[in-house]
Amino acid sequence: MQGNLSAWLVKHALIHISLGFDYQGIETLQIKPGDWHSIAVILYVYGYNYLRSQCTYDVASGGLLASVYHVTRIEYGVDQPEEVCIKVFTPRKDPRIPSVFWVWKSVDFQERESYDMLGISYDNHPRLKRILMPESWIGWPLRKDYIAPNFYEIQDAH
Amino acid sequence: MLIPSSKYQSAPEQLGNIQVPKRASYISVIMLELSRIASHLLWLGPFMADIGVQTPFFYIFRERELIYDQFKAATDKCLDFCDYFLTGIAEYQKLITRNPIFLERVEGVGIIGGEEAINWGLSGPMLRASGIEWDLHKVDHYECYDKFDWEVQWQKRGGFALEGIPGGPYENLEIRRFDRVKDIVWNEFDYRFISKKPSPTFELSKQELYARVQAPKGELGIFLIGDKGVFPWRYKIRLPGFINLQILPQLVK
Repeated sequence: MQGNLSAWLVKHALIHISLGFDYQGIETLQIKPGDWHSIAVILYVYGYNYLRSQCTYDVASGGLLASVYHVTRIEYGVDQPEEVCIKVFTPRKDPRIPSVFWVWKSVDFQERESYDMLGISYDNHPRLKRILMPESWIGWPLRKDYIAPNFYEIQDAH
Repeated sequence: MLIPSSKYQSAPEQLGNIQVPKRASYISVIMLELSRIASHLLWLGPFMADIGVQTPFFYIFRERELIYDQFKAATDKCLDFCDYFLTGIAEYQKLITRNPIFLERVEGVGIIGGEEAINWGLSGPMLRASGIEWDLHKVDHYECYDKFDWEVQWQKRGGFALEGIPGGPYENLEIRRFDRVKDIVWNEFDYRFISKKPSPTFELSKQELYARVQAPKGELGIFLIGDKGVFPWRYKIRLPGFINLQILPQLVK
Protein backbone atom coordinates (compact mmCIF):
# COMPACT_ATOMS: atom_id res chain seq x y z
CA MET A 1 0.00 0.00 0.00
CA GLN A 2 1.66 3.19 -1.07
CA GLY A 3 0.79 6.73 -0.15
CA ASN A 4 1.24 9.92 -2.09
CA LEU A 5 4.61 10.83 -0.72
CA SER A 6 5.95 7.37 -1.34
CA ALA A 7 4.87 7.53 -4.96
CA TRP A 8 6.53 10.92 -5.32
CA LEU A 9 9.77 9.62 -3.86
CA VAL A 10 9.74 6.66 -6.20
CA LYS A 11 9.27 9.01 -9.12
CA HIS A 12 12.44 10.83 -8.13
CA ALA A 13 14.30 7.57 -7.56
CA LEU A 14 14.95 8.04 -3.87
CA ILE A 15 15.53 4.86 -1.98
CA HIS A 16 13.06 4.20 0.74
CA ILE A 17 10.64 1.55 1.91
CA SER A 18 7.02 2.35 2.44
CA LEU A 19 5.73 0.98 5.71
CA GLY A 20 2.08 1.52 4.98
CA PHE A 21 -0.09 3.60 7.25
CA ASP A 22 -0.37 3.79 10.98
CA TYR A 23 -3.58 3.59 12.91
CA GLN A 24 -4.75 7.08 12.09
CA GLY A 25 -3.91 6.85 8.42
CA ILE A 26 -0.61 8.69 8.54
CA GLU A 27 1.82 7.54 5.94
CA THR A 28 4.94 5.88 7.31
CA LEU A 29 8.21 5.53 5.44
CA GLN A 30 11.46 3.86 6.31
CA ILE A 31 14.71 5.55 5.31
CA LYS A 32 18.27 4.27 5.61
CA PRO A 33 20.52 6.21 7.99
CA GLY A 34 22.96 7.05 5.23
CA ASP A 35 20.27 8.67 3.10
CA TRP A 36 18.40 10.34 5.89
CA HIS A 37 20.09 13.69 5.76
CA SER A 38 19.53 14.26 2.06
CA ILE A 39 15.95 13.08 2.22
CA ALA A 40 15.30 15.39 5.16
CA VAL A 41 16.46 18.34 3.10
CA ILE A 42 14.27 17.20 0.23
CA LEU A 43 11.25 16.95 2.51
CA TYR A 44 11.93 20.40 3.85
CA VAL A 45 12.08 21.80 0.37
CA TYR A 46 8.91 19.91 -0.51
CA GLY A 47 7.12 21.88 2.15
CA TYR A 48 7.20 19.98 5.39
CA ASN A 49 8.43 22.73 7.62
CA TYR A 50 7.33 21.60 11.07
CA LEU A 51 8.90 18.68 12.82
CA ARG A 52 6.36 17.74 15.37
CA SER A 53 8.10 15.13 17.43
CA GLN A 54 11.09 12.88 17.34
CA CYS A 55 11.00 9.71 19.26
CA THR A 56 12.96 6.50 19.48
CA TYR A 57 12.02 3.03 20.46
CA ASP A 58 13.44 -0.41 20.67
CA VAL A 59 12.11 -2.62 17.96
CA ALA A 60 12.77 -5.92 19.62
CA SER A 61 15.11 -7.14 22.28
CA GLY A 62 18.46 -7.70 20.65
CA GLY A 63 17.15 -6.15 17.46
CA LEU A 64 17.32 -2.75 15.89
CA LEU A 65 16.67 0.67 17.34
CA ALA A 66 14.25 2.93 15.53
CA SER A 67 14.14 6.69 15.41
CA VAL A 68 10.78 8.14 14.44
CA TYR A 69 10.13 11.61 13.08
CA HIS A 70 6.69 13.15 12.59
CA VAL A 71 6.73 16.03 10.15
CA THR A 72 3.92 18.14 8.89
CA ARG A 73 3.28 21.34 7.08
CA ILE A 74 2.22 24.55 8.80
CA GLU A 75 0.71 27.06 6.49
CA TYR A 76 -1.72 29.85 6.64
CA GLY A 77 -5.28 28.67 6.82
CA VAL A 78 -4.69 25.02 6.14
CA ASP A 79 -7.13 22.43 7.35
CA GLN A 80 -6.11 18.84 8.11
CA PRO A 81 -2.53 19.33 6.97
CA GLU A 82 -0.68 16.47 5.39
CA GLU A 83 1.77 14.74 7.60
CA VAL A 84 4.17 11.91 7.31
CA CYS A 85 6.05 9.71 9.69
CA ILE A 86 9.65 8.69 8.94
CA LYS A 87 11.45 5.85 10.62
CA VAL A 88 15.17 5.27 10.56
CA PHE A 89 16.46 1.96 11.83
CA THR A 90 19.98 1.41 13.17
CA PRO A 91 21.74 -1.63 14.52
CA ARG A 92 22.22 -1.89 18.21
CA LYS A 93 26.00 -2.25 18.17
CA ASP A 94 26.93 1.15 16.80
CA PRO A 95 23.84 3.29 16.49
CA ARG A 96 24.57 6.47 14.56
CA ILE A 97 22.12 8.57 12.62
CA PRO A 98 22.84 11.89 10.93
CA SER A 99 21.28 14.70 12.86
CA VAL A 100 18.67 16.84 11.17
CA PHE A 101 19.20 19.76 13.49
CA TRP A 102 20.31 21.96 10.62
CA VAL A 103 17.06 21.27 8.78
CA TRP A 104 14.51 21.47 11.60
CA LYS A 105 15.86 23.06 14.72
CA SER A 106 13.18 21.57 16.90
CA VAL A 107 15.02 18.26 17.15
CA ASP A 108 17.65 19.85 19.33
CA PHE A 109 16.33 18.72 22.69
CA GLN A 110 14.53 15.73 21.28
CA GLU A 111 17.63 14.17 19.79
CA ARG A 112 19.45 14.79 23.00
CA GLU A 113 16.70 12.97 24.82
CA SER A 114 16.94 10.04 22.38
CA TYR A 115 20.68 9.94 22.90
CA ASP A 116 20.21 10.01 26.62
CA MET A 117 17.55 7.35 26.79
CA LEU A 118 18.51 4.91 24.05
CA GLY A 119 22.07 5.69 23.10
CA ILE A 120 21.64 6.62 19.46
CA SER A 121 24.32 9.16 18.68
CA TYR A 122 23.48 11.81 16.16
CA ASP A 123 26.29 13.03 13.93
CA ASN A 124 26.62 16.78 13.48
CA HIS A 125 24.49 17.67 16.42
CA PRO A 126 25.97 20.81 18.00
CA ARG A 127 25.72 19.83 21.63
CA LEU A 128 24.89 16.19 22.07
CA LYS A 129 24.97 15.55 25.76
CA ARG A 130 22.66 13.96 28.26
CA ILE A 131 19.66 16.02 29.01
CA LEU A 132 17.48 14.17 31.50
CA MET A 133 19.87 11.87 33.30
CA PRO A 134 22.93 13.22 35.13
CA GLU A 135 25.91 13.61 32.83
CA SER A 136 27.94 10.93 34.48
CA TRP A 137 25.31 8.24 34.10
CA ILE A 138 26.32 5.03 32.40
CA GLY A 139 23.81 3.06 30.41
CA TRP A 140 20.82 3.80 28.26
CA PRO A 141 17.70 3.74 30.44
CA LEU A 142 14.92 3.18 27.96
CA ARG A 143 16.38 0.22 26.17
CA LYS A 144 14.53 -2.95 26.88
CA ASP A 145 17.67 -4.68 28.11
CA TYR A 146 18.58 -2.02 30.62
CA ILE A 147 19.14 -2.99 34.21
CA ALA A 148 18.84 -0.26 36.79
CA PRO A 149 21.92 -0.25 39.01
CA ASN A 150 21.58 -0.86 42.74
CA PHE A 151 18.01 -1.97 42.35
CA TYR A 152 17.81 -5.42 43.82
CA GLU A 153 14.25 -6.41 43.10
CA ILE A 154 13.19 -8.58 40.24
CA GLN A 155 13.50 -6.69 36.98
CA ASP A 156 12.08 -7.43 33.60
CA ALA A 157 15.08 -7.12 31.29
CA HIS A 158 15.15 -9.51 28.38
CA MET B 1 -4.14 20.74 35.45
CA LEU B 2 -6.80 18.56 34.00
CA ILE B 3 -5.36 18.63 30.55
CA PRO B 4 -2.62 16.06 30.96
CA SER B 5 -4.84 13.50 32.62
CA SER B 6 -7.64 13.91 30.14
CA LYS B 7 -5.44 13.64 27.13
CA TYR B 8 -3.10 10.93 28.27
CA GLN B 9 -6.08 8.71 27.82
CA SER B 10 -7.08 9.97 24.41
CA ALA B 11 -4.32 8.00 22.70
CA PRO B 12 -5.44 4.61 24.04
CA GLU B 13 -9.02 5.64 23.35
CA GLN B 14 -8.23 6.20 19.73
CA LEU B 15 -6.23 3.02 19.48
CA GLY B 16 -9.02 0.97 20.97
CA ASN B 17 -11.62 2.71 18.82
CA ILE B 18 -13.73 3.70 21.75
CA GLN B 19 -16.63 6.01 21.08
CA VAL B 20 -16.77 8.94 23.42
CA PRO B 21 -20.34 9.99 24.31
CA LYS B 22 -21.18 13.54 23.35
CA ARG B 23 -21.85 14.71 26.85
CA ALA B 24 -18.44 13.58 27.96
CA SER B 25 -16.96 15.36 25.00
CA TYR B 26 -18.59 18.66 25.88
CA ILE B 27 -17.60 18.38 29.50
CA SER B 28 -14.09 17.64 28.39
CA VAL B 29 -14.06 20.78 26.25
CA ILE B 30 -15.18 22.94 29.12
CA MET B 31 -12.63 21.46 31.46
CA LEU B 32 -9.89 21.94 28.90
CA GLU B 33 -10.74 25.56 28.42
CA LEU B 34 -10.82 26.21 32.13
CA SER B 35 -7.46 24.51 32.44
CA ARG B 36 -6.14 26.71 29.73
CA ILE B 37 -7.29 29.86 31.50
CA ALA B 38 -5.84 28.64 34.77
CA SER B 39 -2.52 27.81 33.15
CA HIS B 40 -2.21 31.17 31.47
CA LEU B 41 -3.09 32.90 34.71
CA LEU B 42 -0.31 31.06 36.44
CA TRP B 43 2.15 32.13 33.77
CA LEU B 44 1.13 35.73 34.20
CA GLY B 45 1.79 35.98 37.94
CA PRO B 46 5.47 35.11 38.03
CA PHE B 47 6.07 36.91 34.74
CA MET B 48 4.84 40.16 36.22
CA ALA B 49 6.79 39.47 39.38
CA ASP B 50 9.97 39.09 37.34
CA ILE B 51 9.32 42.38 35.63
CA GLY B 52 8.83 44.03 38.96
CA VAL B 53 5.10 44.21 39.56
CA GLN B 54 3.96 42.30 42.61
CA THR B 55 0.19 42.84 42.62
CA PRO B 56 -1.06 40.62 39.79
CA PHE B 57 0.54 37.70 41.58
CA PHE B 58 -2.23 37.86 44.13
CA TYR B 59 -4.96 38.67 41.65
CA ILE B 60 -4.33 35.52 39.67
CA PHE B 61 -4.66 33.31 42.67
CA ARG B 62 -8.03 34.81 43.40
CA GLU B 63 -9.24 33.74 39.96
CA ARG B 64 -7.54 30.42 40.09
CA GLU B 65 -9.32 29.55 43.33
CA LEU B 66 -12.57 29.81 41.48
CA ILE B 67 -11.34 27.51 38.78
CA TYR B 68 -10.19 25.01 41.37
CA ASP B 69 -13.71 24.99 42.73
CA GLN B 70 -15.04 24.26 39.28
CA PHE B 71 -12.76 21.34 38.91
CA LYS B 72 -13.85 19.95 42.21
CA ALA B 73 -17.52 20.26 41.65
CA ALA B 74 -17.85 20.13 37.84
CA THR B 75 -21.29 21.57 37.76
CA ASP B 76 -23.23 24.29 36.01
CA LYS B 77 -21.53 26.94 38.08
CA CYS B 78 -19.19 27.39 35.10
CA LEU B 79 -21.58 29.97 33.75
CA ASP B 80 -21.28 32.16 36.81
CA PHE B 81 -17.52 32.03 36.56
CA CYS B 82 -17.59 33.18 32.97
CA ASP B 83 -19.64 36.23 33.80
CA TYR B 84 -17.36 37.06 36.68
CA PHE B 85 -14.21 36.54 34.67
CA LEU B 86 -15.18 39.03 32.02
CA THR B 87 -15.16 41.81 34.59
CA GLY B 88 -11.93 40.38 35.91
CA ILE B 89 -10.44 40.73 32.46
CA ALA B 90 -11.34 44.40 32.36
CA GLU B 91 -9.44 44.83 35.58
CA TYR B 92 -6.37 43.10 34.19
CA GLN B 93 -6.50 45.25 31.13
CA LYS B 94 -6.43 48.40 33.16
CA LEU B 95 -3.63 47.15 35.36
CA ILE B 96 -1.38 45.54 32.80
CA THR B 97 -2.07 45.95 29.15
CA ARG B 98 -2.64 49.66 29.18
CA ASN B 99 0.20 50.30 31.57
CA PRO B 100 2.94 52.27 29.80
CA ILE B 101 5.72 51.03 32.04
CA PHE B 102 4.82 47.44 31.31
CA LEU B 103 4.61 48.07 27.60
CA GLU B 104 7.94 49.78 27.49
CA ARG B 105 9.62 46.92 29.27
CA VAL B 106 8.04 44.18 27.32
CA GLU B 107 7.39 45.31 23.78
CA GLY B 108 9.95 44.19 21.28
CA VAL B 109 11.76 41.85 23.61
CA GLY B 110 12.60 38.42 22.33
CA ILE B 111 11.21 38.51 18.83
CA ILE B 112 11.16 35.47 16.61
CA GLY B 113 10.08 35.48 13.01
CA GLY B 114 7.37 33.16 11.82
CA GLU B 115 9.58 30.89 9.75
CA GLU B 116 12.06 30.49 12.53
CA ALA B 117 9.34 29.70 14.99
CA ILE B 118 8.15 26.82 12.86
CA ASN B 119 11.67 25.57 12.41
CA TRP B 120 12.27 25.43 16.11
CA GLY B 121 9.08 23.47 16.53
CA LEU B 122 7.23 25.94 18.72
CA SER B 123 3.54 25.61 19.25
CA GLY B 124 0.73 27.20 21.15
CA PRO B 125 0.79 30.83 22.17
CA MET B 126 4.39 31.30 21.09
CA LEU B 127 3.62 30.26 17.55
CA ARG B 128 0.47 32.31 17.39
CA ALA B 129 2.22 35.43 18.59
CA SER B 130 4.82 35.06 15.88
CA GLY B 131 2.32 35.51 13.14
CA ILE B 132 1.24 31.99 12.28
CA GLU B 133 -2.40 31.16 12.58
CA TRP B 134 -2.20 27.63 13.90
CA ASP B 135 -4.36 26.14 16.54
CA LEU B 136 -4.75 22.42 16.90
CA HIS B 137 -8.34 22.81 18.02
CA LYS B 138 -9.28 24.11 14.61
CA VAL B 139 -6.90 22.12 12.49
CA ASP B 140 -7.46 18.73 13.97
CA HIS B 141 -11.21 18.97 14.56
CA TYR B 142 -11.08 16.99 17.70
CA GLU B 143 -13.60 16.66 20.53
CA CYS B 144 -16.45 19.03 19.76
CA TYR B 145 -14.65 22.21 18.96
CA ASP B 146 -16.37 22.34 15.60
CA LYS B 147 -19.73 22.89 17.21
CA PHE B 148 -18.59 26.15 18.70
CA ASP B 149 -18.26 29.20 16.60
CA TRP B 150 -14.90 30.84 17.05
CA GLU B 151 -11.75 31.92 15.33
CA VAL B 152 -8.11 31.51 15.99
CA GLN B 153 -6.67 34.62 17.56
CA TRP B 154 -3.22 35.53 16.43
CA GLN B 155 -0.99 38.49 15.94
CA LYS B 156 0.80 39.54 12.86
CA ARG B 157 3.85 41.11 14.44
CA GLY B 158 6.80 38.97 15.30
CA GLY B 159 6.58 39.64 19.00
CA PHE B 160 6.53 36.92 21.58
CA ALA B 161 6.63 38.67 24.91
CA LEU B 162 3.17 40.15 24.64
CA GLU B 163 1.33 36.97 23.88
CA GLY B 164 -0.94 34.97 26.07
CA ILE B 165 -1.88 37.62 28.61
CA PRO B 166 -5.34 36.50 29.62
CA GLY B 167 -6.56 40.01 30.11
CA GLY B 168 -4.68 41.02 27.06
CA PRO B 169 -5.07 41.38 23.38
CA TYR B 170 -6.54 38.28 21.91
CA GLU B 171 -6.99 35.24 24.07
CA ASN B 172 -9.91 36.55 26.06
CA LEU B 173 -11.95 37.04 22.94
CA GLU B 174 -12.04 33.30 22.55
CA ILE B 175 -13.50 32.99 26.02
CA ARG B 176 -16.26 35.43 25.22
CA ARG B 177 -17.40 33.33 22.33
CA PHE B 178 -17.67 30.31 24.54
CA ASP B 179 -19.74 32.22 27.00
CA ARG B 180 -22.46 32.96 24.52
CA VAL B 181 -22.77 29.46 23.19
CA LYS B 182 -22.66 27.55 26.42
CA ASP B 183 -26.25 28.15 27.43
CA ILE B 184 -27.56 26.30 24.44
CA VAL B 185 -25.50 23.25 25.18
CA TRP B 186 -26.58 22.72 28.74
CA ASN B 187 -30.25 23.18 28.03
CA GLU B 188 -30.60 20.03 26.06
CA PHE B 189 -31.90 17.15 28.06
CA ASP B 190 -31.38 14.31 25.72
CA TYR B 191 -27.89 13.55 26.94
CA ARG B 192 -28.06 10.57 29.19
CA PHE B 193 -26.05 10.65 32.35
CA ILE B 194 -23.73 7.70 32.39
CA SER B 195 -22.69 6.74 35.85
CA LYS B 196 -19.04 6.58 36.69
CA LYS B 197 -17.62 3.18 35.88
CA PRO B 198 -14.41 1.72 37.21
CA SER B 199 -11.57 2.24 34.77
CA PRO B 200 -11.35 -0.71 32.43
CA THR B 201 -8.19 -2.29 31.20
CA PHE B 202 -8.30 -3.44 27.67
CA GLU B 203 -5.95 -4.87 25.11
CA LEU B 204 -4.06 -2.47 22.93
CA SER B 205 -3.77 -3.73 19.39
CA LYS B 206 -0.33 -3.96 17.84
CA GLN B 207 -0.49 -0.61 16.09
CA GLU B 208 1.08 2.73 16.61
CA LEU B 209 -0.53 6.07 17.00
CA TYR B 210 0.29 9.71 17.50
CA ALA B 211 -2.49 11.58 19.27
CA ARG B 212 -2.19 15.28 19.90
CA VAL B 213 -4.04 18.03 21.67
CA GLN B 214 -3.65 21.74 22.20
CA ALA B 215 -2.51 22.15 25.77
CA PRO B 216 -2.16 25.66 27.22
CA LYS B 217 1.51 25.83 26.39
CA GLY B 218 1.31 24.29 22.99
CA GLU B 219 0.98 20.94 21.39
CA LEU B 220 0.94 17.97 23.71
CA GLY B 221 1.50 14.84 21.69
CA ILE B 222 1.47 11.22 22.68
CA PHE B 223 3.12 8.58 20.58
CA LEU B 224 1.81 5.20 21.53
CA ILE B 225 2.93 1.83 20.24
CA GLY B 226 0.64 -0.88 21.40
CA ASP B 227 1.59 -4.40 22.07
CA LYS B 228 -0.94 -7.16 22.22
CA GLY B 229 -1.38 -6.75 25.91
CA VAL B 230 -2.38 -4.32 28.56
CA PHE B 231 0.86 -2.34 28.66
CA PRO B 232 2.13 -0.42 25.65
CA TRP B 233 5.52 -1.05 24.10
CA ARG B 234 6.38 2.63 23.88
CA TYR B 235 4.54 5.57 25.34
CA LYS B 236 6.30 8.80 24.49
CA ILE B 237 4.93 12.13 25.55
CA ARG B 238 5.89 15.23 23.62
CA LEU B 239 5.71 18.10 26.03
CA PRO B 240 5.08 21.57 24.71
CA GLY B 241 7.13 23.28 27.38
CA PHE B 242 10.18 21.12 26.68
CA ILE B 243 10.17 21.94 23.00
CA ASN B 244 9.38 25.60 23.48
CA LEU B 245 12.35 25.88 25.78
CA GLN B 246 14.85 25.11 23.04
CA ILE B 247 14.76 28.55 21.61
CA LEU B 248 15.83 30.22 24.83
CA PRO B 249 19.58 30.47 24.12
CA GLN B 250 18.83 32.17 20.86
CA LEU B 251 16.29 34.58 22.28
CA VAL B 252 18.60 35.76 24.95
CA LYS B 253 21.24 36.97 22.54
